[in-house]
Order: sequence, then structure tokens, then C-alpha cells
Amino acid sequence: MLKLVGAVLVVAASGLCGLSVAGNYSRRPRELRTLRSALQMLETEVAYGATHLPEALKQVAGNSDRLAGPFFSQAAAELSSPSGITAAKAWENALNHYYPGTALKPQDLSILRSLGSSLGKSDRKDQVKHLHLAMEQIENSIAIAEEEAARNVKLWSYLGFLFGLTTVLVIY
Amino acid sequence: MSAKVSQPPARLRCCGDGVIQEILPVLPGGVRRLVSDLPPFIREKIEEIRIRQGRPLILGLSSGDHFLSSKAQLTDRSQEAYQITPNDMEHLIQLISGSSLYALEEELRNGFITLPGGHRAGITGKAVLDGGKVRTLKYLSGCNIRISREIKGAATGILPCLLDRSRGIYHTILISPPRCGKTTMLRDLVRQLSDGVEGLGFPGINVGLVDERSEIAGCYKGIPQRDVGVRTDVLDGCPKAEGMMMLIRSMAPGVIAADEIGRREDVEAIEEMLNAGVKVLVTAHGSSPAELALRPALGHLIRAKWIERFVILGRSRGVGTVEDIIDGKSMRSLGVK
Repeated sequence: MLKLVGAVLVVAASGLCGLSVAGNYSRRPRELRTLRSALQMLETEVAYGATHLPEALKQVAGNSDRLAGPFFSQAAAELSSPSGITAAKAWENALNHYYPGTALKPQDLSILRSLGSSLGKSDRKDQVKHLHLAMEQIENSIAIAEEEAARNVKLWSYLGFLFGLTTVLVIY
Repeated sequence: MSAKVSQPPARLRCCGDGVIQEILPVLPGGVRRLVSDLPPFIREKIEEIRIRQGRPLILGLSSGDHFLSSKAQLTDRSQEAYQITPNDMEHLIQLISGSSLYALEEELRNGFITLPGGHRAGITGKAVLDGGKVRTLKYLSGCNIRISREIKGAATGILPCLLDRSRGIYHTILISPPRCGKTTMLRDLVRQLSDGVEGLGFPGINVGLVDERSEIAGCYKGIPQRDVGVRTDVLDGCPKAEGMMMLIRSMAPGVIAADEIGRREDVEAIEEMLNAGVKVLVTAHGSSPAELALRPALGHLIRAKWIERFVILGRSRGVGTVEDIIDGKSMRSLGVK
């Protein structure tokens, strides 16, 4: 009986590990798409509304879903704080806080970092160019992420359980 | 060699240190540390902070200009002064623009950004022209942060000369060169006229304030951050000439107040006010009515003797000294109390 419980636990644990890896693969394109549409909103605020950055970030946070909303709202809060920090620093702080809980990869992070370093520093035309560049790069990442998801989600979903079953068989 | 700045008598230490606290968040790290390390009695006297890339940091105090050393000490030797780095300049521009340079094209065209609290940061750099007119500035390399102070009661001494027998106010121009306290005086006049002056039996009057540069009322999202009185309607960030016409049509003010008039359209708008029976309270750069009379746009207004009181401000006994009050009809001095 005890052996059976142990075997179930091994299969369940490794199955869950596999599902979690698969989950990451399927979450990444979703998160990237949310970020992309958030940046699109930011572009509208900057290019047509000439909204000041803290206000624009707040607006984007309000209109984004729970995947990107907290990131933009933290960046807005950091930027509006009376301590007087630059947009690049506020963006970086928010990113460091937000990134660990996401399925984003370091290459996605570096797109956002490089956008952050030029945010609010130049005229409207230039800001729009930077935002377009970031959106294009995210678009590419989405394509790659979707391809990876199609390849790996099913694989990892099964692989975890199969690994668990194999372990159980080897042990007995 | 350290510059000597004497401690002011207690009665002059009225503005408090809070004003500098409003400025500190827009200063880049190095400069912020130096300014906040200064003793409070010096910080209270700061009128300007001049920041020029690659050059020494200069503080404009009421007692004169001084360099600020890397040890947070005032000095008269430029070699000892803290030098502004390109990094400082970049940070400063981001901080004074709230990291929203793209939203400040109009401000850059005018060469200054108004900071929260009504302080003004003048900016220089390379002008980008479009059809011969300045479109914007780039390579921003110089900045002068002018600190605006609210001194309640600054206008108490001159008010009796500006109120006529029927308890109305005379058409008045405050004249002074820059940095002599025109805006501070105007703000207090607006406040007292709006609230009313019990001692003079003046009940208070609706004041329309056109605050083109957000310096007088220091509006944040349209709400005055400075005390400009209970009966004051502020049109924030609006061109003066247009603003005066808007206020007269919409708010029926008894007095219209505006800062730094000089353009032809400002004078035309003032003439409209005079014809509409609204009293005018404005400021202008200059040192005497005679000098104003020589100015192309303002000259007409002066020569026609429409202005009834000239208040001349200077620095002979400190910022905001009332040097003279002149009756506009007789051009005689009314004396200074």
C-alpha cells in the first residue's frame, strides 16, 4: 500500500513539474502579446495625447489586464514618487519586481530594458520610433515563443508523467 | 576662500526651508546632495540655481552669486566649484521634464519649463528652426532654476496707494528689472484684493488671473497651489491676451491680473479691459515709466496716461524693495511708506 502511495506521489510530482514547464511555454506568448498591446496604448498616449509619462503609464496600467497592469502601475508609482527618479530608473525597478513572476526570457527583458533607457528623453517622433522598435522586437519574440509553445507544450505535459512512470518502473 | 553669507535677522527668515524641498527632487543626484547639505539659513536665501554643462555650479542668493564647492561650501573661486557633468545635465533635464520631454514641445519653444509649485526652469541649448521660427531646442546644456517664494503681506505697504477713494483699485503696473520680486508682489496683491483688506475697509473683489507661465498661482492640474485669494479665478497656462478676453467674457472680474506684459497683443487686450471698465493689474520688465514709454507696444499705453499707478521695485534694500510709487496722471511720486 505504502509503495503504491509512493508511486502515485512520484508520478504526480514529476507530472506537475512537466505541466509547469509546459505552462511557461504557453504563458510566454500570452504575456508578450499583452505587453505589445500595452506598448501600443503607450504609443497612443505619447504620440497623440502628449500625456506626461507618469499619467500615461497609469492610463496603460488601468487599461491592461492583470499580466501587464501591475508592471505599468508600479512604473507609474515609482516615477510619481517625490524622491525624484528618472523614467529609466523607475522602469528598471518595476521590471526587476515584475520579471521574476513571469514566463518571460532574458531576451524579452532586454527589449524592455532598452526601451526603458530611452523613455521620455526625446521628442515625440523619436519616442514613437523607440516604441515601434520595441513592439517589432516583441512581435518577433511572439512568433518564436508561439513556435516553441506549439512544439513543447504537449511534449512537456506528457514528458513529466512519462518520466514519473519510468522512475516508478525502474525502482520496482 | 569661502564666501561669507551672514545669517539673516529672524524677521526675514519667513519663507522657510520648504520651498527648497520642492526643488530638491528635480535636481540631479550630485547637485541635490550639495544643496541639501547647505545650512538652512543659506538654503532659504537661494533665488536661483544655475546649472551649465561642464561649468561650475552657481547659486544665486539674495546677497549675490556664489559658486558651490564639492564640499557643499559657498566659494568665490570657480576652480573650487563643483563642475556639472554631462550625466548631471541629462538627469536634470529628465527630472525637470518629469521624463516627458515629448510632451513639452511648447515649453521648449518658449525656453522654460514650469515646475510644480510655480518655480521656473529656464533652458538653453541648440535651437531647431522651422521656417525661421524656433520649433524646439535640442542638446540642452544650460538650466536656470528660479525659485518662486510666496511672501504673504509683501504688498501690504503699497496697497493704500493703489486703492482709490471709492474703494476701487487704480490701473496699476508693477515695474522692475528681473529678480526684484515682481511676481511675488503681484501674487500678494492679487491675494489681498481677492480676500479683502479689513484694515482698509476693502471688501474684496473678483480677480481674474491669467497665469500664462503658471508662476503666480503655481497651478497643478488647474488648482492653485499658492494662496491667490478666495475670489480669484485662474486661467492657467493661457496666453495673456487671449486669457484676458476669455475671463472678461466668462467670469466678470473686477480686476484682471497678468504677469510680464510687453507684446503688442497684450497691450491691445489691456486696452479692451480699460474700455470695458475692468481694472488692470500687470507687471512689466523695466526700471521706470519713462523707459516703458519707449517700448514699441507698451509706449502707447503709457503715453495715453491710462495707467494710474506705477509701482517701481528694486533691490536697493533687498529683493522686493518698493523704490517708488508714481501717479500716472501727474507723473509725480507718491512717496514710499
